Amino acid sequence: MSEFLRSYLTVAIFGATGCLLVGAFVGLSALVRPTRPQAQKYLTYESGVDPVGTGWSQSNIRYYVFALLFVMFDVEAVFIFPWATRLEAYGYFGLVEMAIFIFILALGLFYAWRKGVLRWV
Amino acid sequence: MLNILAQPPTDAIPTPDVAWSGLMPLLILSGGAVLLLTIVSLAKDFIPRWFTPIYTVLIGIATGVAAIPLWLRVTDTPSAADPNNGPFATLDSSFGVDGFSVFFTMLFAAVVVLVALLANDYLRREDIDGPEFYVLMMLSASGGIVMASANDLIVMFLGLEILSIAVYVMAAMHSRRIESQEAGMKYFVLGALSSAVFLYGIALTYGATGSTNLVEIREFLSNVILLNDALLLAGFALLLVGFGFKVAAVPFHSWTPDVYQGAPTPVVGFMASAVKAAAFAGMLRVFWLTFGSYRTDWQPVIYGLAIATLLVGSFVAIVQTDVKRMLAYSSISHAGYLLVGVQAATNEGTATVLFYLAAYAFMVIGSFTVITLATGPGDAKTSLTDIAGLARTRPVLGIALTVFLLGQAGVPFTSGFFAKFYVISAAADANSYGLAIVAMLAAVVAAFLYLRIMMAIWLDGDEVADPTELAAAKAGIPVPWGAAVVLVVTVGFTLVFGLWPEPMIEMARDAVPALAIG
Amino acid sequence: MSGFIFAAEAAEASALSFPLIPALIALPLIGALVVGLIPTARDGIHQQLAVLFSGAAGAISVWALVEFDKTDAGFQFVSQQDWVADLGIQWLAGIDGITLFLVVLTGLLFPLTMVAVNPGHDHKPYFIWLLILQSGCFGVFVALDLFMFFVFFEIVLVPMYFLIGKWGHGNAKYAANKFFLFTMAGSALMLVSIVTLVSLQARESGNAATFSVVDIAENLAIGQGTARWLFLGFALAFAVKVPIFPLHTWLPDAHTEAPTAGSVILAGVMLKLGTYGFLRFGLYLFPEASNYFAPVFLTLGVIGIVYGAVVATMQKDLKRLVAYSSVAHLGFIVLGTFSLNSQGIQGGLAQMINHGISTGALFLLVGWLYERRHTRQIAELGGIQKAAPVFAGVFTLVMLSSIGLPGLNGFVGEFLVLLGAFTAHRWWAVVATVGVILAALYLLWAYQRVFHGPTEGDNADTPDLSVWEGVVIAPLLVGIVFLGLYPKPMLERMEPAIDRLVEHVEAGVGGDFTEPVPTVGESGTFSELVETTHAEHEEHGSHSDEHGDEDHSDEEDHGDEEGGE
Repeated sequence: MSEFLRSYLTVAIFGATGCLLVGAFVGLSALVRPTRPQAQKYLTYESGVDPVGTGWSQSNIRYYVFALLFVMFDVEAVFIFPWATRLEAYGYFGLVEMAIFIFILALGLFYAWRKGVLRWV
Repeated sequence: MLNILAQPPTDAIPTPDVAWSGLMPLLILSGGAVLLLTIVSLAKDFIPRWFTPIYTVLIGIATGVAAIPLWLRVTDTPSAADPNNGPFATLDSSFGVDGFSVFFTMLFAAVVVLVALLANDYLRREDIDGPEFYVLMMLSASGGIVMASANDLIVMFLGLEILSIAVYVMAAMHSRRIESQEAGMKYFVLGALSSAVFLYGIALTYGATGSTNLVEIREFLSNVILLNDALLLAGFALLLVGFGFKVAAVPFHSWTPDVYQGAPTPVVGFMASAVKAAAFAGMLRVFWLTFGSYRTDWQPVIYGLAIATLLVGSFVAIVQTDVKRMLAYSSISHAGYLLVGVQAATNEGTATVLFYLAAYAFMVIGSFTVITLATGPGDAKTSLTDIAGLARTRPVLGIALTVFLLGQAGVPFTSGFFAKFYVISAAADANSYGLAIVAMLAAVVAAFLYLRIMMAIWLDGDEVADPTELAAAKAGIPVPWGAAVVLVVTVGFTLVFGLWPEPMIEMARDAVPALAIG
Repeated sequence: MSGFIFAAEAAEASALSFPLIPALIALPLIGALVVGLIPTARDGIHQQLAVLFSGAAGAISVWALVEFDKTDAGFQFVSQQDWVADLGIQWLAGIDGITLFLVVLTGLLFPLTMVAVNPGHDHKPYFIWLLILQSGCFGVFVALDLFMFFVFFEIVLVPMYFLIGKWGHGNAKYAANKFFLFTMAGSALMLVSIVTLVSLQARESGNAATFSVVDIAENLAIGQGTARWLFLGFALAFAVKVPIFPLHTWLPDAHTEAPTAGSVILAGVMLKLGTYGFLRFGLYLFPEASNYFAPVFLTLGVIGIVYGAVVATMQKDLKRLVAYSSVAHLGFIVLGTFSLNSQGIQGGLAQMINHGISTGALFLLVGWLYERRHTRQIAELGGIQKAAPVFAGVFTLVMLSSIGLPGLNGFVGEFLVLLGAFTAHRWWAVVATVGVILAALYLLWAYQRVFHGPTEGDNADTPDLSVWEGVVIAPLLVGIVFLGLYPKPMLERMEPAIDRLVEHVEAGVGGDFTEPVPTVGESGTFSELVETTHAEHEEHGSHSDEHGDEDHSDEEDHGDEEGGE
């Protein structure tokens, strides 16, 4: 095997090891665990409340929109906290930069508001 | 508090210089998109419906115009009078402004203008009108500009995501059609996966070279001899997979037919032109410019990808019966041709890829314009029998589609012929004769595909040609003005550069030496 | 060699300032544009305009014939203009003795076809496609730049595709697809060959890249092995177009399903694109490779002759029969071309012209017969002679020319081909002679079944040749008789260019491998020519025996080489 191909061998081994590991763990647990199939075990929740309806239940789309808006500002916060601790070091540049960032995000909120998604009808 | 900010602290973080002139086209396009969203939110009820498309066209033109002085500057050599001439980089050398990136900027600007004109009529016809399509398209195109200009792998990824996420939404835009939603979903899931793979590739490359900056990576690779380059090669492979998904190279092409068939037709035009161009821009920037010294490692892989893409793209296309699916497979085989140019790994090869991308962008937008108009309301009647006899019932559309199909088949006197010719020349110059032969044979097989479409529109559907019906068809469906402009421009482009390709290929050659340092 | 062109250009500049070649190519295109601008409703005027423009181009081609300097072996009326300068692609066109008559044939056959046949429906696009096709055919024949040649070689497919598909009969779409794909598959490899040739030539010779066939051929710098591969790339494209035996299957379909005009043009002009290609881009560009592969092509040519004749004999469809006779005739052309001597090539070239005239006329007559009887099945026809005596007479004359009866044009080509082949490769010529006999068999038999016998049913009502049809076909009949009795004006114009080509091949091969016999000396008529040639052979009786032996050993050498590889 040439040096050239040998270097690809590492990649192949890397990939193979990954597959092998997953297979090994899943296989191992399948070997070790006891298997006593019961109808109840195939319910969505094994304990607690009995499930009602099908697994594909619909939830209100508004939750989704709100969740999305929340994520937007959640991510914003991730950026703002570290920035705030080092604001002095950035100087004016940092201030303007963050203002632009928040402004653009605010535009998104503004759009959502005008689109009417904030109203819970 | 402002006083504190005014005094430079001892541990000040150096902020990068910004060459605003170099960012101008990008700022116009992305700023224009955000502004449009704001305007329509503020004054939703006062805005006439013609405003949005016109605004988008104007923004597109402004982007292109802003790129012209940049083009003149970066393709010139520095002189005593103008020491700033030539390619340069800004934002701490993470954003390169060179002939390459400006070429793509102009291409994206043209695509935005054309697709906006086409979409105007389409969105109204399908009753899904609104500013969102235009905003997303402009944002997506600005992502393309970022990809073509990226001098840093992180920036490249940023561009890729801006480009892709907007297109995921656009693909699912036709919310009442289940196929459109399926297309959006499929594209999103596979696209997200490919982005993840791409990101992993960036990580591995960073691990191997110690930098994400393309200039630094290039310096590192040409100066340092790696004793163990496994990490680097794994990085190459993952990056290539990421790009392969976006350009629809076999074996990463499986999303293409479904997405092309389901997505709204103008969006498909945008995907086949802009997204493909952006992905190839990124691929050339990363592989040819940055990993150039390791070309013996990646050339064989692209050689294999190219052959697989050419053969699968052209052979599988034969058995299709849906026009949009057919053009999807044709776009796969075009990706194969472009890979032939990439594989050459020469300046000339890169220039031919740029020429090909420009020629193909206009041809494919033109094709999808005709299909948008010909398949009528509902966007679902896209099978071969639905467009049978098109040349009889609507001769203008028939002739235009014929020009585009002949162009894609590489028949002389179209820009597609020169595109193929240049790519084959580049392959022959690089001694890749086998690849050149496979490419030409694939072209013959692909020609059969275009013949089938031409046959359907010219020779089939005779039974439809009841004179009264014919007259009604001719009188009843005028070509909307926006689409008419698109057709004139794209047919003109295809024919003019089919006769006289020199200005275009000269431009592509000027665009090639890139990757500014500093 | 480029000096040659410039000299010719200078001479031409003083004699003729009219841009002859651009006019040839542009006139039909302008015609197509004009026809395209006329509203569809005005049916009659499309045909008149098309004939006018096509005829004007034909008149210019005749003018070229008159102005042609028959002593000059080089290119005349040269037209040169940079196209894509940095790649060395230019608009470079010229006419020499080899192409002159092909250009004239193209110029005359098109307007004639347009007059002769009414498409039946969709007049406007029909004439537009025919005009574009004429322009493309002119382009192929005059192109001296590889790129320009390829462009025209490809572009002629498109109009022909639509002509067959839209106006053809029966299974026309299948035939059109087959035609397009076969031909395109052939030329795909030619493009690779062209590009590789130019790239290697530039690299090996150190000169700037050029696509000029003259520049490349005169200073061929690539190695022998490479040249052979490249030759195969070109040869495949031409072999499909000709077509040579195993690649011929598209031809019967295309000819049979095509409309009459399509068949006439296909047989008369477009098949010649391939045989002409062999001369200019096979022999001239790659003399050594042509010589090396000559036995293969000779064999395939002979197979084509015999196979075409045998299959034609068994056809039930008259048009298909004529189509297969084309396969046989083109076998003769290939045989002559790869004899690689003056007589053979000259015979092949004469056969190209003659086949164009007589098979064109034959297809025209079969087309008219179909218009009258709405069938081409030989079994359903019979006794036409009684009902349409003039028609039968004209058919006889054309058929005899196609058989190669002495005194008619078909004989000249076939005789010269056999003469050339016999000098170079005796046994191939002997087998090919069988083809001549078979041609007489199948055509006479078909004639007998169609025109003789009892006149039954509808056949009795077959109208005779109208005056108008007579006027249309008259030029072809004149050509058949004139070129049969007095071929000298044609042969002597071909000769200098062919001699130069043969010298070039000999120089490329590096040895005097055949004996050039002057075909046209002072002899005026063809019979004199035959006598002269005969006498010369008598004179060098012992000589030619020796040569014959040498030739024989040559063949054995080839056999060994092929066996060894």
